[in-house]
Amino acid sequence: MSDTTFTQLLDLAVGTVVVASFAALWLRRLVGVINILAVQGVALAAVALLLGVHESEPELVAVALMVLVLRGLVLPGLIMRAVHTTGARAEVESLINVPSSLLAASVLTLFAYAVSRDLVALADTPHAQAMPLGIAVALIGILMLVTRRKAIMQISAILMLDNGIALVMFLGTSGVPVAVELGIASDVLLAVLVLQVLTFRIHLEFGGGDLDQLTELRD
Amino acid sequence: MGGLVASLPLVPIVVAVAIAILGWRSLTAWASAGSAFVILAVAVAASVWVVDQGPIVALGGEVRLDALGAVVLLLIGTVASITTTYATTYITREVTDGSATARRATWYGILVQVTLAALVVVVIADNLGVMWVAIEATTIATVLLVGHQRDSASLEASWKYLVLGSVGIATALLGTVLVYYVVRHSGVDVDAGLSWSQLVPVAGRLDASALRLPIGLVIVGYGTKAGLAPLHSWLPDAYSQAPAPVGGLLAGAVSAMSMYAIMRFTAIARPALGDTFIRNLLIIGAIASLVTAASFMLTQRDLKRLLAYSSVEHMGLIALGVAIGSPLAVSAALLHMIGNGTVKAVAFSTAGEVERHLGTTTLAHTRGLLDRDRFTGTTFALCLVALAGLPPFSLFASEVALVRAGLNDGLDWVIAIALAAMMVIFTALAVQAINVLTGPATNAPIDVPIESRAATVATRVPLVAGLVMVAVLGVTIWPISRLLEDAAAVLAP
Amino acid sequence: MNASRVAVTVVQVAFMIAISPFVVGVMRKVRARLEGRVGAPISQPWRDLRKLSRKQRMVSEHTSWVFSISPIVLVASTVTIAAVVPTLSTVAALAQVGDLFTVAYLLLLGTVFLALAGLDTATAFGGMGASRAMTVAAISEPTILVSIFALSVTAGSSNLGAIVTTTLDHPSSALSPESLLAFAALVVVVVAEAGRIPVDNPASHLELTMIHEAMVLDVSGPDLALVELSAHMRMVVLFGLLANLFIPWGVATSAAPGALAIALVAVLVKILGLGVVIAVVEVFLAKLRIFRVPELLAASFVLAFLAVTASFFLGEPA
Repeated sequence: MSDTTFTQLLDLAVGTVVVASFAALWLRRLVGVINILAVQGVALAAVALLLGVHESEPELVAVALMVLVLRGLVLPGLIMRAVHTTGARAEVESLINVPSSLLAASVLTLFAYAVSRDLVALADTPHAQAMPLGIAVALIGILMLVTRRKAIMQISAILMLDNGIALVMFLGTSGVPVAVELGIASDVLLAVLVLQVLTFRIHLEFGGGDLDQLTELRD
Repeated sequence: MGGLVASLPLVPIVVAVAIAILGWRSLTAWASAGSAFVILAVAVAASVWVVDQGPIVALGGEVRLDALGAVVLLLIGTVASITTTYATTYITREVTDGSATARRATWYGILVQVTLAALVVVVIADNLGVMWVAIEATTIATVLLVGHQRDSASLEASWKYLVLGSVGIATALLGTVLVYYVVRHSGVDVDAGLSWSQLVPVAGRLDASALRLPIGLVIVGYGTKAGLAPLHSWLPDAYSQAPAPVGGLLAGAVSAMSMYAIMRFTAIARPALGDTFIRNLLIIGAIASLVTAASFMLTQRDLKRLLAYSSVEHMGLIALGVAIGSPLAVSAALLHMIGNGTVKAVAFSTAGEVERHLGTTTLAHTRGLLDRDRFTGTTFALCLVALAGLPPFSLFASEVALVRAGLNDGLDWVIAIALAAMMVIFTALAVQAINVLTGPATNAPIDVPIESRAATVATRVPLVAGLVMVAVLGVTIWPISRLLEDAAAVLAP
Repeated sequence: MNASRVAVTVVQVAFMIAISPFVVGVMRKVRARLEGRVGAPISQPWRDLRKLSRKQRMVSEHTSWVFSISPIVLVASTVTIAAVVPTLSTVAALAQVGDLFTVAYLLLLGTVFLALAGLDTATAFGGMGASRAMTVAAISEPTILVSIFALSVTAGSSNLGAIVTTTLDHPSSALSPESLLAFAALVVVVVAEAGRIPVDNPASHLELTMIHEAMVLDVSGPDLALVELSAHMRMVVLFGLLANLFIPWGVATSAAPGALAIALVAVLVKILGLGVVIAVVEVFLAKLRIFRVPELLAASFVLAFLAVTASFFLGEPA
């Protein structure tokens, strides 16, 4: 694989991850958002795979497989199951409207580039150049978390935040040591599992996944 | 010694397996306290060793316990011993009076042990990544513990805790990953990787301008997890809805882990970044925490939430100590961590007693506590005295040391604001204490249910022992003075 | 300005005028077939235009001169666009002014006059159509600017011909993330500008949410013929621009007759291909609710914005 092809494929995969997070903000249907997250997971696995092949690191290829299964399949699947078992209403509700979220997300993207100038300057590999996009995805995840009022959407947002961090991890350092990688993966899996259980209980207790109903505790 | 420390996390895990198989019963309840005492005993032994012969290393350098780690391990052991001993009666009572099923009690036991194992891993792992994984593990385990009561309020608390906690911890992960990136691209030996013991000696060669964002993210992320304002909003909910012993564990040990993580990162960042950046960031968090705590404690209507905001205050003070960064300030912060953790473990357990006797922790309904239940009332009063920073308790000594350290470093204004906030908090605690303890009893004296002698002893001994320990440390710092000095030297060489 | 360049320009404009009604006819036919209808013959749009141009011109007595000149301004701006956009050749006489800003503002000029005509009649539909058209234009025009700007960063020039030539020289740059993002953004905008589903329904005269048709309800006879022809042409020219920006092969880089002949065939194939794809997709889409249209356009603006960001940060020009 020549360097140009590698760079272009990598940029393409990274671009898919970023566009997926914008699409998740744009979509109105919960199921659509979850599917987009699965696409994002697959694109993330592609990033890891490309880097693994390019730097001929079998470890990273294995990690790519794990990412594919976990972020492309298992985690979106878990969230999807939460949607089905709770019968959550299909529409996303948001505190700010879609155009404003999209504009906010583009501002966050610029912000991510602005704050990571010094970091990018350290290395001049093409993947390090794209690293701020990972930070942007993480920021968009936080934006989604803050503006969306459904339990399911907040889980999706946390997943997106983690996807962004994983992207930074792959692009910046070609992954962290495998033991840590495994630990991170299992923690994320557990967190989503617990969130799924809590979502189910919120639905039982409040008869809907609307988090505006969680107002019992306050000062 | 190395093997002993390295295998320490296995103790709670074995106990957790035992609880899973046998269920929550008298034997396993005591086993769960036993594992906490093992941690405490190993912590004491390790501290002595560390003071004598330097850091304990095992598993080819993966495990490392230096003086700073030993101090935090002591804290974990103390807090865990108090809360698990108290829980032997607390949870057993819940099962007998039907407010918790046997299954839920079993889960409680398992999750507490998993939390303890993760806490130990945080301290002994010589790897910033493993440290993150373990702190996240404590978050997940304690979220389930916060939801132990299974009502809508505890559900709300655990949701907020997990969502905000996840964001905080994810931010910290992003920071950790970026620190790793900076290390990899600063021309430093790649072997250093994420091992803090190898990073600290080369820290001065890291690229300063690139390190700024990662360290900022780490401080904000772990700061959220520690409960520093303004990202503390999950904390009062989680602490107040958790079962009383878990509240103690959260306030005493789990939040201290995040401060410990911040300390490790500052040790790496200070040589490269210098003082200003870290200091400013932490001072903002510290002052915000103190002011927030002051404003919410004055009007607080719930006892456990009052304790929770007191945690925000003390986390702020510890952060202030780390911010100042001189040896005096750091040892004061560590002493404060031990004092606050121990008193919080006792105070939350006492709150559990209040809850059990009165069926509520609303302050308006707890009037005349001293008359109605002398032991609980006295313990609670002493806890408030300790938290307000009065002698003879060690929090007085550490607060005085903090103020001195701050003035030495020319942070007059910061110290002035902190002192003002602490005065308000002192007033708030005094007013609440007087209202609660001596106010006219609105209800008839409560008849405390008669319990077996063993149960009473198990409830009362840890509370008294905790308070005595903090008082002793307040009078003379001698037992741990050399350990604190060594620990401060780790952060402020 | 030499004669051969003028000739190329004339051929290009004439060609665009000639094929645009047929392209529309083909698209209608494809839709009809997919929906199980026989559909009108491909030449139907031409026949409609011919029929309209023979009819009497009816103008409401409440309208002003704006209403009368609007169709002419519209057609003039469209023909100018057809002359400057490098559909057939990059060496047309007006290629120097074939700047992305020129095109964007010429498009806007036509849209504004059409909207003014709609307002001028003072009917309810005219006003509604005008206001919606301006809403769409307010977001889609900047998107065109921004997304072509993203491409021009790579080419180092905002001249459309130069951008096309650069892509010809570096074929791989057509696959870079910035150009893919810009392509996605432009597709949405072109669909919006051309008044296709999901933004507007070109086959409707009786929907409360229609945009283009609402503005031209009061235009009749030869005026309507001009407006319709311009609408067809705008769509086809935009298709041609879109096609050449991203798949430029076949476009003539000289005024040689052979190259022009190849270009004629190539551009016809590309435009027809794009038209058929869009027609097929339309069959499976429903029109968006009118208040979601700005969301769609905002999304495409964001894509264009990302394209610019990517072209600045991701890579040095290939």
